[in-house]
Amino acid sequence: MIEVTNLKKQYGSHMAVDGVSFEAKQGEILGLLGPNGAGKTTTMRVLTGFMPPTSGTASVAGFDVMNDSMEVRRRVGYLPEKVPVYPDMTLFNYVAFVAKLHNVKNHKQKVEAVLDRFDLLDRRDKLVRSLSKGLKQRLGLAQALVHDPPVIVLDEPTIGIDPKQVIEVRDIVKSLRNDHTVLFSSHILTEVEQVCDRVVIINKGKVVAQGTASDLSKQFMPQRQLYIELDGGNQEAYQRLLRSLDMIEKIEPQGRGFILHIPSDDALQKPITRVIANSDFTLIEMRQLDVSLEDVFLDIINKGEQ
Amino acid sequence: MRATWIIFRREVSAYFSSPLAYLIAFAFLLMTGIIFNNDLARSITVKSVDPSLIPDFLSLLMVLFAPLFTMRLLSEESREGTLELLLTAPVPDYSIVFGKFLSAWFYYSFLLGLTLFYQIILVNIGYPDFVHTTASYLGIWLYGGATLAVGLMFSALTENQIIAAFLSTITLFILWIGDLAGDIVASIDLARVIRNLTLQGHYSTSFAVGIIRLGDVVYYSGMIVIMLFLTIQFVESRRW
Repeated sequence: MIEVTNLKKQYGSHMAVDGVSFEAKQGEILGLLGPNGAGKTTTMRVLTGFMPPTSGTASVAGFDVMNDSMEVRRRVGYLPEKVPVYPDMTLFNYVAFVAKLHNVKNHKQKVEAVLDRFDLLDRRDKLVRSLSKGLKQRLGLAQALVHDPPVIVLDEPTIGIDPKQVIEVRDIVKSLRNDHTVLFSSHILTEVEQVCDRVVIINKGKVVAQGTASDLSKQFMPQRQLYIELDGGNQEAYQRLLRSLDMIEKIEPQGRGFILHIPSDDALQKPITRVIANSDFTLIEMRQLDVSLEDVFLDIINKGEQ
Repeated sequence: MRATWIIFRREVSAYFSSPLAYLIAFAFLLMTGIIFNNDLARSITVKSVDPSLIPDFLSLLMVLFAPLFTMRLLSEESREGTLELLLTAPVPDYSIVFGKFLSAWFYYSFLLGLTLFYQIILVNIGYPDFVHTTASYLGIWLYGGATLAVGLMFSALTENQIIAAFLSTITLFILWIGDLAGDIVASIDLARVIRNLTLQGHYSTSFAVGIIRLGDVVYYSGMIVIMLFLTIQFVESRRW
């Protein structure tokens, strides 16, 4: 549904997007992840027909953003980072205005349906300015969906709203799966992990990694981490014992125990338990630590910067 | 055209849903009312009523008011991020600009229409020169359109409404007062050229005295066309 090939966008001498390529399939939620200023918004602006790329191509539903801009815009629902609302309009009139711009047939019913879906129908005659930030965000989503576009582009839709509303917005985005292709940007890892089918990580205008969240963890975290806690001796003695296992790459003291960094391919738990069993110490706790996408992300970004 | 109509309707309702619009209408009627009463009082003894009285006054007033009517139109969209909404909707850029311009012109026409009350009063108490009045109203209607187009152009140029209003006021004031420059140049030809470039030059000696000349109509329409063209370019430049 979305295809981006070697996309570049230059502002003056600054390369905001520098050769980004990715694609999103029908019914997929694709996360665009990166720190602020990575080029997420610029990429989205190209895809929504707001601005042309400097070079490279981008297409939505088979239409090129440069040559068939109008066709692309008809098929995209877009919620920019700053929710584009008119404070002096009523909710109904605002969504109806957007529906009319998109030439939606029977726009009254459609607008009511979409307001109902986002639980805003009882406020239909309130002014937009009276809404809280979270409700404005919902209105922004309603506006992006009123013409029932196949592709929905959401630029950091959870920024600046309270935690309960963040969960609401995430649930809404998840509910869009299958009927729509969603491009969702965020700089919050856990969010992308929860919401998206696949993730494209960009930094400084370049794609640094892409795949499913678990793929990325495997690919970029060749190590596993074990937390281990012993009893019956002192810290130095434990360390000496663990060092005798040369497969352990790193030992980090953590609380009352240690974090062991071990290669992920080896079945190391057995030798470790054996060594401990043969020693004078008692094993209190041993568990594998989850590698979060957060670690992957920071790791990738840091590597990129070094 | 469809999109122009949608934008036009939204803008017109924005004009009329704001209390400011009614305040401006009130101020407009108060000011023109004072001028009219004054002229009426003097016409009893000193002179006959001036058929182009209100349009003449508006030729100055629009220099100050056109920027206020138009400063919001595009700079607010750009500041509030709603321009991104319009520019990613399947509508051509020019239709956005046309819709906005026509709404401002419509609002101005509404205010101008309010001043026709004075003509109704005149008809009831005397024999005003209708042709003269009609020509001057037509003139000031076009003149107003041109000043609004200048205001809209500056509104497209900056996100800051105050700067937009300030720049358009200065531009309009120079265009208004420009024919004074004609007084200080020695060459009559140059003075004529300068006068032909100014807003006053196409109003005060033609429409204001009841003459409709094609050249003057072309001047104001041309100014509207050029300003709207520039506005469209500035809006498009947001995409670069």
